[in-house]
Amino acid sequence: MRRFWPEVTFWRGVAAVTLAVGLYATVVRFGRGLGAATHLSDGFPWGIWVGFDVLVGVGLAAGGFTITATVHLFNLERFRPIVRPTVLTAFLGYLLVAVGLLYDLGRPYRIWHPLIMWNPHSVMFEVAWCVMLYTAVLSLEFSPMVLERFKLRTPLRVVHGITIPVVIAGVLLSTLHQSSLGTLYLIVPEKLHGLWYSPLLPVFFFLSAIAAGLSMVIIESFISSRAFGRRLELGLLRDLSRVVVVALGLYLVVKLQDMSGRGAFGLLAAPTPERFLFLVEMVFGVLIPMVLLALPAVRRDRAGLFCSALLVVLGFIMNRLNVSLTGVQGGMDAVYFPSWLELAVTAMLVTLGFISFGLAVKHLKVFPEGHQEERPVSLGRRPRPVAYLSRGALAALGAVIALGALTLDFEAAARGRVPAQEVTAGSGSDLSVLGGGASVNGSVADLRLPGDLTYPPGKDSPGAVTFSHESHVDGKRPNCATCHGGAFPILKAKAAARTAGEAMHGAQRCGACHDGKAAFGVEDNCEGCHAGG
Amino acid sequence: MAVAILTDLTRCIGCRACVYACKEINGLPKEEAEGLSARTWTVVERRAGLNVRRQCMHCLDPACASVCPVAALHKTPAGPVVYEEDRCIGCRYCMVACPFHVPKYEWEKPLPRVQKCIFCSEKRLREGGQPACTEVCPAKATVFGDRDALIQEARGRIEAHPGRYVDHIYGLEEAGGTSVLYLSGVPFERLGFPTGLDREPYPRLTWEILSKIPNVVGMGGVLMFGIWWIVNRRMELERRDALREGPAKGVDDGEEGDR
Repeated sequence: MRRFWPEVTFWRGVAAVTLAVGLYATVVRFGRGLGAATHLSDGFPWGIWVGFDVLVGVGLAAGGFTITATVHLFNLERFRPIVRPTVLTAFLGYLLVAVGLLYDLGRPYRIWHPLIMWNPHSVMFEVAWCVMLYTAVLSLEFSPMVLERFKLRTPLRVVHGITIPVVIAGVLLSTLHQSSLGTLYLIVPEKLHGLWYSPLLPVFFFLSAIAAGLSMVIIESFISSRAFGRRLELGLLRDLSRVVVVALGLYLVVKLQDMSGRGAFGLLAAPTPERFLFLVEMVFGVLIPMVLLALPAVRRDRAGLFCSALLVVLGFIMNRLNVSLTGVQGGMDAVYFPSWLELAVTAMLVTLGFISFGLAVKHLKVFPEGHQEERPVSLGRRPRPVAYLSRGALAALGAVIALGALTLDFEAAARGRVPAQEVTAGSGSDLSVLGGGASVNGSVADLRLPGDLTYPPGKDSPGAVTFSHESHVDGKRPNCATCHGGAFPILKAKAAARTAGEAMHGAQRCGACHDGKAAFGVEDNCEGCHAGG
Repeated sequence: MAVAILTDLTRCIGCRACVYACKEINGLPKEEAEGLSARTWTVVERRAGLNVRRQCMHCLDPACASVCPVAALHKTPAGPVVYEEDRCIGCRYCMVACPFHVPKYEWEKPLPRVQKCIFCSEKRLREGGQPACTEVCPAKATVFGDRDALIQEARGRIEAHPGRYVDHIYGLEEAGGTSVLYLSGVPFERLGFPTGLDREPYPRLTWEILSKIPNVVGMGGVLMFGIWWIVNRRMELERRDALREGPAKGVDDGEEGDR
């Protein structure tokens, strides 16, 4: 154990820095608002706090419901040793999703509103309820670890007694909201790129969550065995990896069928950044790990198993980010790349997850007794090439993702400029523009100016003033904003008329233009405006 | 009566009376506007030689209202799509879902709201008036009225001046129909209007899935319970048999499961 000390301190240092930076980001987010902390905008309202913290967080916690169902419903008892760590991972995952949501919501203190303010037509409403209920389910599934610690026998009996209904509820709720996260995007057919948009998004989200959730269980077991000196349940993980193969295969088949049905293969003909990202996701995140894990040699090899599972998880993350960020970029009005504060918050949440897991392992009975690592499980022959194969694929994926992010960033930025040239933005403030508009359609003849306004004389006034729109508006280039943009309200003409006497001469009123330069000055020519007498 | 606005882009002279009337009645800052924002709910943009007034389309079956988890946005029977800021949690799904890119957010505020045109619902319509923007338009380019009547009016104009208009009433069918209708002399795709939108209301896309939830819960619940019931019973019987026949031959331990 001692030889791990330097490593532990290194990671503790990393964690401390991450938490400190995250705390600063938290202060900025809640002190100065979303605009100051994020790169979100009207043109791109959802960023990585939705794409990663919620979509990825929920998906990677999917191991929770699959493993509990396997053990409690299908009675496959031999998977029991990994139930507790998996439930713990899922529980922490969902808590962090909730915390992440508090950052993303504009009014986080109203997060409870869906409880009493219902809209059953909203996918978000359904997701909110499912996630909330499933977090409750997970806390029940997690509670025995705490109850045992404090030797609370009666509540423990109650929780054990309701295990089956709780597990069934967990499976149903998970099925619903894992798929519903995909349903969220069904309403943006024009914004989400055709390589990802599909009526089957809920199915894809569900299947990929199962594959990634189980892969996450494998990864979490490896990390735990390394960090806490636990024995690796290699046999179990191998069996899980076979389920991953089936889930990935199913995903691939449905995906291909769906794409051919929608004629989406045509989208792969053009060399777009989307095509690139899609192919990386499918080849490195689905196809290669599926093939690798289907090979007994890879499953038997520790590195092979770990790297393949990692490929699945990374591919999954890429898929969720593609659906939520890069895939919608083309349909949005603004280019998005997360701010460092957004990244800092996400990093902090991930770190909090690791720390909480470590604390739970330290103080609760997460792992079964007597499963300390004695020695690495030695396997007579070590199929090395296989390990290199999977690691190579992993490295390639990493490089390609980094490259892809860059490409897409530039591409998107370039594309973002096009509409700006096409469309003369702005409100047509320059007069030539207004004239041009009139000449195109020749409709100035239709101009129907408001009638004359008479301002009653003030105390020492030489007479009432009658304002005529006709003599003030250039019929060829009418611009109401000249006066109504500032000095004179447009809706309250009568209220304006009550402005009495010389106040009307002010720079905020008639004097704004009648200053002797733009038009004759208010002090120059009384009869020009005031009717005699 | 379902109210609507018909904006005839061939008549718009770009004076921006509507923009300032809107800002005035809604107490929005009177600044030069670069497109729609939380502080500008209607705007006149220069596109393809026309002055294009943009605002919320007030869809007949709005995506924004259907996606809102707390029903902060809803379509009133009279026509306007309105916003109750006291309910809003700030998830911004409405902004993501709107096919017309209309709802905007107060990003710079610590406690932001979603903002968009609300058809002067509270301030004007309730009292039998018309929206500020249509009232002040000096060219009658944007007019208020009953939706069916305005559609008739639009059809009449296209028939009477076929050379002046493209033969399309934007908003008649887009996204299942909207309460804001447009006529133009230039094809709408050149004006930056989203074309190729579904003719069906957008909420149907998600409702088709959501409406299946009761089935999933019911059938899934029974299936799960059934599996547990059968498997458990079998295991129990096996255990009993094993006890009767003496020491078990050992359960498959699963280690080295591969071959």
